[in-house]
Amino acid sequence: MRFQDAARDGRAVVYAGIQADPLVARAAGLLADASLDQRLLARAAMNGESTDPSTWRAMFPTLFGPVASDPEDEARARSEAILAAALEVATRGEQVRSSLRGAIVEAVVERLLSRRVPAATIHRERRILFDGVPAEIHPYDVTVELPERAEGYDCKWGARGINADVLHQLEAARGHAEAEGARLLVAIVVFDARRSCRVRLARQTAPLGGVRLVTLETLDALGRVKAAAGGALSGAVAGARAGGAS
Amino acid sequence: MPTSVGAAIELARAALDRLRDRGESIEDEWQYVTDLHATWRGRFDGVAAARGEEALDGARAAAITAAIAEADSIVDPHRAIDWLSTYPGVVLLALGDVG
Repeated sequence: MRFQDAARDGRAVVYAGIQADPLVARAAGLLADASLDQRLLARAAMNGESTDPSTWRAMFPTLFGPVASDPEDEARARSEAILAAALEVATRGEQVRSSLRGAIVEAVVERLLSRRVPAATIHRERRILFDGVPAEIHPYDVTVELPERAEGYDCKWGARGINADVLHQLEAARGHAEAEGARLLVAIVVFDARRSCRVRLARQTAPLGGVRLVTLETLDALGRVKAAAGGALSGAVAGARAGGAS
Repeated sequence: MPTSVGAAIELARAALDRLRDRGESIEDEWQYVTDLHATWRGRFDGVAAARGEEALDGARAAAITAAIAEADSIVDPHRAIDWLSTYPGVVLLALGDVG
């Protein structure tokens, strides 16, 4: 098993520009340290129509209302900063907004992983190659490349982004690594509710054996040391599917 | 504005139905939209059954009213699908019933 930078084609060049947008780094920095409520605010505001902050403050009383912390409080300040960044994303054109959201999820994943592994071992837009196996076309959004084991992550803004191609690619890579005697943890990270992801997964027919699912509720597990053991991210996708769409 | 959890859920459920109606126009995603709607509707039903009589304070009632207004402002069917998986969480958070 070895890793390679993805080809710098036109799409990659354009997307690199999106990834380098300062708004991506700002939003990712805020969201990496955010609570679940704050992450839900970001998802809602980036998805929404309204660009009036007061609308969103009213919608999230636990963050901004009378029961929330005072305006000088750090959590309240973070909520305000997250709202401002989310609305900045929302006001971009539809296509840019969509690309920015994806890039933000990837950047959040990178930041969370850096709490657990050296930053130098985290890479973006990489392909994973195996002897005698045709290379996959789509690069992995984020990889962790350690001498003794590796991790591959596909990042999605919403549950709707989960599809058979992605799941096939992740599971095939894991299987090839296993056949080579290498350790590769693969996961799909979705900035969406676990319940919605389960709905999406319930009708997928792709083989999912060892693909793990990380959702809005379990993002922080990416940065916890226990996750490196392979069993703590948030359970295998297959388990989510078996659980059905309840 | 709703004054009880049950009344809030009733309004929120109707908005969820309207989001589904918009999302269903994307034929390739009809099954997903239908499943997503059924799942979250069931979740709303569960909250209404457990806490329907509970009184709702002004801030939470306003939050749900704002979430419904936002949901109703979504006209693009693709965005409606995205909102269909986001909106229930916003409502449930306002009700203090996340999970």
